[in-house]
Amino acid sequence: MIRLDYRDARPIYQQVKDGLRRLMVTGVLSAGEKLPSVRQLATELTINPNTIQRAYAELEAEGFVATVSGRGTFVAGGVEQSLARKEELTEKLTPLLQELRELGMTRDEWDALWEGGEGRA
Amino acid sequence: MLEAKNVIKTFDGFRALDGATMTVPRGAVYGLVGPNGAGKSTIIRHLTGVYRPDSGELLLDGAPVWENPAAKARMAVIGDDWYYFPQASIAEMARFYEGLYPTFSRKRYEKLREAFPLSDKKPIRRMSRGMQKQAAFWLTMSCMPEVLVLDEPVDGLDPVMRRQVWSLLLDDVSARGTTVLVSSHNLRELEDVCDHVGIMNKGKMLLERSLSELQDKTVKVQAAFRTEEEPALPAELKLLHKSRVGRVYTYILRGEREEILRRMAITKPLLLEAIPLTLEEIFIYEMGGEDYAVRDVVL
Repeated sequence: MIRLDYRDARPIYQQVKDGLRRLMVTGVLSAGEKLPSVRQLATELTINPNTIQRAYAELEAEGFVATVSGRGTFVAGGVEQSLARKEELTEKLTPLLQELRELGMTRDEWDALWEGGEGRA
Repeated sequence: MLEAKNVIKTFDGFRALDGATMTVPRGAVYGLVGPNGAGKSTIIRHLTGVYRPDSGELLLDGAPVWENPAAKARMAVIGDDWYYFPQASIAEMARFYEGLYPTFSRKRYEKLREAFPLSDKKPIRRMSRGMQKQAAFWLTMSCMPEVLVLDEPVDGLDPVMRRQVWSLLLDDVSARGTTVLVSSHNLRELEDVCDHVGIMNKGKMLLERSLSELQDKTVKVQAAFRTEEEPALPAELKLLHKSRVGRVYTYILRGEREEILRRMAITKPLLLEAIPLTLEEIFIYEMGGEDYAVRDVVL
């Protein structure tokens, strides 16, 4: 379900977090669904439970999941989730956009990218 | 909580422990690392009550460990020299452990049979080294200790068994809050399973932190500058190490990632990137400051 890559520069908790988020954004884990317990994930991935806990805590702070004490962690509702993701991706795009500008990308080229965005990927 | 306070131990005039202090918090998975001869096994033998210190204290939840059966009953150890009776099978050793540990669980023992592909009727001495290690885990985990002390535990285990063993250990950590103290040279592996790390050198504890703190507070930054000359770095930055390949400089800095990037921006770099450090890199850089590094030896 989640894959850890040791050649990946991201820290492990980040990989767990990104992996879970991908599952939620793509709908593999849908709103209201229960996430695996910290214990389950820790034994399955053989990583420290605190690492999983940290990933869950950050996902909760970002509004992707909600913890019901004594019952577990659940995928939060869809709307806030995609908004949060949008905000985050925009943040990632900003430096890329700046670099493209520095490399002399024009507004027209950018618009072309915008229009054909789906087709190019 | 398992503690060593200012422990000194001298063997034949050689000071193996020179004021070593360490704290393993309850429920932690504590990775003890250090170069060969740093005193890792020696401090472990003190913490488990095998050696008596010349001075200093060794405490489990505040009670001295030395000659204290109540404290020792809560701890189980797998050392690199795990002991078994010469003719004994695993089943016979299980009876021995059952007598030693009030917490020994037959149910657990039977359950763990599924995890290890071993016969518990065969003499242990006939088994390979790796299988003996598996036997040690089988028996030790059946004791359900509160504190598990492992000296180079997964050496000799194949990759599948290493994962199997860690998975069982981490299950105990998350379900029962077992405290694990583990010494190892496999930093890649420790990085996944530990949440605390202690680096020892020359009989002392060089540094002891939670792993997230250690990794969040040491940053590798790669930067390239417009000018031919390297600009002066902001004085507030704490530089551990610097290297250069072509125009790209690599700095190892101590501090928060965001703050370092903000301060570095003053030098107007062409390229500036922060990369998290692996435990292996932290170890090498910290030890480098202690004059312990790979030497260029030509044979």
